[in-house]
Amino acid sequence: MAAGAVPTEELDPEAAQAAIEHCYGQGWSDGLPLVPATRQLVDRFLACTARAPEEEIGRMAHLGRACTVELAAVNAAMAGCKPEYFPVVLAAWEALHRDRAAKGGGWQSTSGPAPMIVVNGPVRDELGFNSSGGAFGPGFRANATVARAIGLIVRNAFGIRPHEFDQATQGLPGRFSICFGENEEESPWEPLSVETGIPAGQSAVSATLLRTCEFVDNRHTQDPEQVLFDFADTIVRTGSLIFRDQSCFVVFSPEHAQLLANSGFSKADVKAWFVEHCLRSEADLRRAGKDAVGDGPMGGRSAGPAERAPQDTLSQVIPTPQHIPIAVTGARNAAMSLVCRVFGMWSNTSCALEPPPGRQRSPGERAAARESSPAGRASSPERSAPNEWASSPEAIAR
Amino acid sequence: MSTILDPTGGQRNGTAEAPLAPRPPDLRARTVGLLDNGKQNAGLFVEELGAVLVEQHGAGQLVLRHKPVATVDAPPELLAELAAASDLVVIGVGDCGSCSAAAVADAIALEQLGTPAAVVCTESFRATAEAMAAVRGAAGYRYATVEHPMAGLAPGQVRARAEGVAGEVVALLTVAAPHRGAA
Repeated sequence: MAAGAVPTEELDPEAAQAAIEHCYGQGWSDGLPLVPATRQLVDRFLACTARAPEEEIGRMAHLGRACTVELAAVNAAMAGCKPEYFPVVLAAWEALHRDRAAKGGGWQSTSGPAPMIVVNGPVRDELGFNSSGGAFGPGFRANATVARAIGLIVRNAFGIRPHEFDQATQGLPGRFSICFGENEEESPWEPLSVETGIPAGQSAVSATLLRTCEFVDNRHTQDPEQVLFDFADTIVRTGSLIFRDQSCFVVFSPEHAQLLANSGFSKADVKAWFVEHCLRSEADLRRAGKDAVGDGPMGGRSAGPAERAPQDTLSQVIPTPQHIPIAVTGARNAAMSLVCRVFGMWSNTSCALEPPPGRQRSPGERAAARESSPAGRASSPERSAPNEWASSPEAIAR
Repeated sequence: MSTILDPTGGQRNGTAEAPLAPRPPDLRARTVGLLDNGKQNAGLFVEELGAVLVEQHGAGQLVLRHKPVATVDAPPELLAELAAASDLVVIGVGDCGSCSAAAVADAIALEQLGTPAAVVCTESFRATAEAMAAVRGAAGYRYATVEHPMAGLAPGQVRARAEGVAGEVVALLTVAAPHRGAA
């Protein structure tokens, strides 16, 4: 029976409460109530994708854990997603795992990084993703539950839970709640997905891991370079500099984006400006104990030798335009924006949303697929296929 | 009446008993492998610890190897080579969420190759080290801890940490102490 089809007087709130408590008791919850997932509900999720339930979509070989499409559906249902959100969850998951940091220990990191999920295209209106006022939440089921589903998959499918494999020092406010639509209608620039090569009008999802989001409130000037300087000052703050290079996702409000565009700045111009002007003096870096840069691939920072006087030089913080991606969201009601501190490096790609399945698989066909698959309900912990992620030299050490 | 589905898919942390390597009675003339996981000060720490094992506990040769990525398991060929070149291995330093777990995973892999191993983590990462031991079928696997942090210490402080933990490491590598505690 579809949700909402039960007359109000026939709802059983006490049964619902008992089922919610059961889920808490199993240790499945992120702290908030879960929707108890049933076979019938999860089958409605699986009917919204052409992908096979047994398809593996993620593996943490070092933990002996894996996630299948079906297990993702169970977690998405428990997160409160509607079945029709499920293709967005799958695309967000895939987009996130194009980010090397998500595969290289990011979920276990003391940094406690948060996924940031950006939705482009007509799916925003079709499913009700907020892309205007308060886009970072709360208040919108699609935004809130898609992000939450990712967190539940990490917790339940990968078994990465706080105080165990999740070693976040403080974590991040809003971890597993950051998902917004890009405000394409009020952005002066091409959508993020189009910039990555997805055709205009095609729904797509982009994602990366963040360390934090910091506001830049500049309602003070119409001079584009003064506005950009205000962003640069936040981007180069020493507290966030732990490696030689830094990556920030600048999420402009429509007002800031339009001010820049009206002054002749394309998105590429803004990125080039940041690469050129996001500089920090060696003297400042010395004062923070971060003036020496290691020679590893990431170039970890440390305090330089005390006897060496800091040089009168400026260090570039943003090495390339790929390190400073730009999106636009929020209401056009104030010139305030967010600098979102990227944990590793965004893949600079987007995942196109799959079209609705041409034909829904019948419950019988889905059951047959489940029975015939050894991987069926999420593979056994003993499976130890070689882990192409874990052995990746590109995995980010942190 | 319908059943509530399990979002873990029935996956649990491993419980099988992984075999651990037999211990020698002491370190005398044994070749000690040092696995530097690449964290800040880890290389210096394992070298200092190796030096203490030679100077004070009679260890023979030292073999130093570097892990390419701290946060995930060491490549199997690196562990196989290290196990072949060493009688015993010391791994350090687990001082982050994923690298402490990965250090324990490497140690258990070495144990399964027949080489006794001792992991040194900072005390802040007990929970994740122990969770990984359980996942790898060695719940209760023992390891040594040093005071947190390790990164940012001056060389003399790193040496002091190595001297302080050497006795515990020797105990883990020899028959002097049980190397699997209560799970």
